Amino acid sequence: MIAEQNCIPLNVNKSNSLSENLLEVHRLSKSFPGVRALHQVSLTLKPGEVLSVIGENGAGKSTLMKILAGVQSADSGEIFVDGKKTAFDSTRAAMDHGIVLIHQELNLCDNLNVGQNIFLGREPQKFGIVNSREISQKSEEFLKRVGLSVSPKTIVGRLTIGKQQMVEIAKALSVDARVLIMDEPTSSLSSKESASLFELIESLRDQGVSIIYISHRLAEVKRLSDRVIVLRDGEYCNELIGDEITHANMVSNMVGRDISQFYSRTPHKIGETVLKVNQLRTPHWPQHSVSLKVKAGEIVGLAGLVGSGRTELLRSIFGIDRPLSGSVEIDKQTVKIRNPKEAVNHGIALVPEDRKQHGLIIDLSVQDNIGIAGLQKHASRFGFANFQKQKSDTEIMIDRLGIKTPSDRQISKFLSGGNQQKVVLGKWLSMAPKLLLLDEPTRGVDIGAKQEIYQLIEKLASESMAILFVSSELEEVIGISDRAYVMHEGQLTGELDRSELNEESIMRLATNTAELKEAKHNG
Amino acid sequence: MGDRGTGLLKIAGITTLLLLLWCILIWESPLSFLTPNNLENLLRRTALYGVLGIGVAFVIISSGIDLSIGSLVCLAACLLALFLHVDYVPVGQVDVWEVSADDSTISVAADHGFTEGDELWYYKDRRNKGLVKVAGIGGTEILDGTPVTVLTVDPAPKRDQDSEDGKPVGKISSTFDVINYEGNAAELESNAPNLKHNDKVLFVHNSETSREKTVDRTGENNQLILTDEDSGLNAEFRAVPIRKTPYMSIPLAFLSVFGIVLCLGVIHGLLITRLKMQPFVVTLCGLLIYRGLSRWLTNDQTVGFIEYQETLGKVATGRWETGIQFMPVKVDPAGDASSWKLVWDSAEGAQMFGIPYSFFIFLGVIFTAIIFLNLTVWGRHLQAVGRNEEAARYSGISTHRITTLAYVLCAVLTGLGGVMFAIDSNSIAPSSFGNFFELYAIAAAVLGGCSLRGGEGSILGVVVGTALMQTLYNSIVLLKIPDELEFTIIGAVILFGVAGDELTRMLAAKFRSKEA
Repeated sequence: MIAEQNCIPLNVNKSNSLSENLLEVHRLSKSFPGVRALHQVSLTLKPGEVLSVIGENGAGKSTLMKILAGVQSADSGEIFVDGKKTAFDSTRAAMDHGIVLIHQELNLCDNLNVGQNIFLGREPQKFGIVNSREISQKSEEFLKRVGLSVSPKTIVGRLTIGKQQMVEIAKALSVDARVLIMDEPTSSLSSKESASLFELIESLRDQGVSIIYISHRLAEVKRLSDRVIVLRDGEYCNELIGDEITHANMVSNMVGRDISQFYSRTPHKIGETVLKVNQLRTPHWPQHSVSLKVKAGEIVGLAGLVGSGRTELLRSIFGIDRPLSGSVEIDKQTVKIRNPKEAVNHGIALVPEDRKQHGLIIDLSVQDNIGIAGLQKHASRFGFANFQKQKSDTEIMIDRLGIKTPSDRQISKFLSGGNQQKVVLGKWLSMAPKLLLLDEPTRGVDIGAKQEIYQLIEKLASESMAILFVSSELEEVIGISDRAYVMHEGQLTGELDRSELNEESIMRLATNTAELKEAKHNG
Repeated sequence: MGDRGTGLLKIAGITTLLLLLWCILIWESPLSFLTPNNLENLLRRTALYGVLGIGVAFVIISSGIDLSIGSLVCLAACLLALFLHVDYVPVGQVDVWEVSADDSTISVAADHGFTEGDELWYYKDRRNKGLVKVAGIGGTEILDGTPVTVLTVDPAPKRDQDSEDGKPVGKISSTFDVINYEGNAAELESNAPNLKHNDKVLFVHNSETSREKTVDRTGENNQLILTDEDSGLNAEFRAVPIRKTPYMSIPLAFLSVFGIVLCLGVIHGLLITRLKMQPFVVTLCGLLIYRGLSRWLTNDQTVGFIEYQETLGKVATGRWETGIQFMPVKVDPAGDASSWKLVWDSAEGAQMFGIPYSFFIFLGVIFTAIIFLNLTVWGRHLQAVGRNEEAARYSGISTHRITTLAYVLCAVLTGLGGVMFAIDSNSIAPSSFGNFFELYAIAAAVLGGCSLRGGEGSILGVVVGTALMQTLYNSIVLLKIPDELEFTIIGAVILFGVAGDELTRMLAAKFRSKEA
């Protein structure tokens, strides 16, 4: 099943001669403390080309993009723009060469309006007075180009994430960007928003703008790319052109192994109801109430579009937000959960969506993070923490989950996304919860770690843990759920058994109408 | 927790700075710096300010700030002084509400215990006072809403007195025969109340000046041995026994002060966690409120503990003698300061070096704080909350409680510091006592490696930071640097220290990335 695929030797350059290339990168290397992030990576980019860069997390994609955009500097290697050797010491310098990075987390000022954001730092002015009219006029032009029909006077914070992204792109166009680097642009977009983003990317390409596209979502990569570069462990691995860009090809190149059994299912016995949610109304969707249940040993998916209220539901179950009304039953007992501590005491664990803000204390060590939830539980009579227990728990979790870390004292921020997620999981598994809530557990996690997480979920269910997981990836919901609920704008629109689970049925419920066409488009 | 290495590096850095400063002081001004007296002083000041520094360190680690420390020090000090306030009250004294010269009556509060034939001491002011005998006791009546008894007295009062604004016109109390007076021993009639050490006796006479005497002890035959002799006294006088009545006992006073500051800490914490107010704002208001309260409670008068020289005073000035005696002396009397040596033990001029009691309290606080912060669940939770409150909450930590705990600890330690400062200085001017102490405390904590971003900081660092601040203050005095520059120098050193710390951090990061 696991067939090692060797990387193709360095410097295989299938593209054309130097002069045609807008951007050329030779043998770029970059190291961080304890990590070789990039090693001798080269790439080329032609005008009006969509080049995707794929690879597992930690493969070096983000580092490469940050170097191209002047956020970080390379340890060695050369960058040529229009055949001229350059070096970027700041994003400004990269921008002057027409290279703009659009971060995964958008860099807009929520409190300013669209126009002000587009011209931030480059405001047309006279004697220090900003010319607002000129900002509006010029902004409108760029907004038109990205196909966004909002007034330049709109405060950015009021726009949806998708529209904010358009503003970000408009901003890039306003500095005459010739190379747009997009890092996971669809990670927080709904499918509808994603579709319009793809249209925009295609139209920009036709206007001669080159795009470097980074995504874990291979379907998007397949749809958009003229060419795909695969990175593995910080090294250039392979290049795929045209017909070579297939899902299987990409995955095997990234992982270096066959993934025919990606979603392996071990049979697990379904037991008594562990969680029962009755008519719960969350503060975010006060007009709808939600009822659902999860049984021991059952993996229940919670599908829906981004912003459909799934995260809010988990937050309310876990006691982060106080529900407006309704009740939660654990093991058939109605319980009152007013804060996460009480949730933990009832045997509930939540792996949150935002790993860096909510899941981990990123500046603390692996051991501190794994041990944090159990400190109170394992404390001695006078409140002294039990560090032996913490250490042994940590060692067990590092071993059990295969966390790749130099030591249990390693600061979590130096771990890759997948390993960070395993630390979060380890924290909760050390508490032996009976109900595990997972919110986008595989977001920002590479394919290898993804598979490990799926296997772990299967294993936990077979040990009769109840699992409720939120996922925006249909493939994932279909792959591992025993049953799934689908949400749309704060209400449950349906419940699907394993036999009924398919992309179409989920999307129909997720969009709650006949927006099916678009769903297919994306799936 | 976390970056243990950088934490140690920070402490090492600031300790080096402290040692360097000591070397400079020994080099430049050994004759004043190395005296037992100066060193004890340095220890005492470090102890007092250090308690505040550790207090604020907890809040800073929780990523908050407490600006109310100086005012709270003052409030705690004033409250202690008020709770320990001592009144001298004549035994059986009651209020007088009306005096009538024509009727020869005095109306006293109805709860008096006088009987016919009693000789009483009436006192309004220096001109209106005197001994009167109860000739008859009338009925109870209501005067301006107060129940009073009308006493017929002899001799008749000289002039009428009426109560004004509902206040009594004077006081009247029982007197007792002086059976015998000799030297400093007075024998009172047998039914006189028993008096103890530090109670007083007022000797009164219709034609002589009255004299107040302090009781030292009770001698044989229930004689009262007074603290001094008075040849003018004799058995013709009558005695008004006066009892020393503190408002509260010492333990109760301390408990009350700690109870109050603890409640204030809880209020800070609740306002910050429940109402989501910013710590800066909450404690800034505290700074203003407590200062005003202190001034109002004390009528803006300086308060102290004069009555407690023998108890609190001893603790404040007390020290544990180490048995080591030394003194720096000039070798050549005509020479300069650079030719000096330390003389030891029995050598002439050597003085005993003692460790102030307050320093032991400080050691206790340090020890407890280190254990709390590093070994207990709450200490670890506090550090986690300081790093990332949201993640801590998602991990099932009661972040509100932990944050509140930080403010409570800070307030209680501030209260402890407050009472230590109070009994140490013994003179509390409510408008200025404790001014800027919050800034000293914050500065010491920051100098000691606490980051205002939260989550970072060690107790030992704060201790060294405080010692450094106090040494700086000491050196300004000893090196004859103009006083006016005090703040400038302290500010500059903190700036230098923190900048140095950031620089080493950057260099370390660079070095590590090179190494890798």
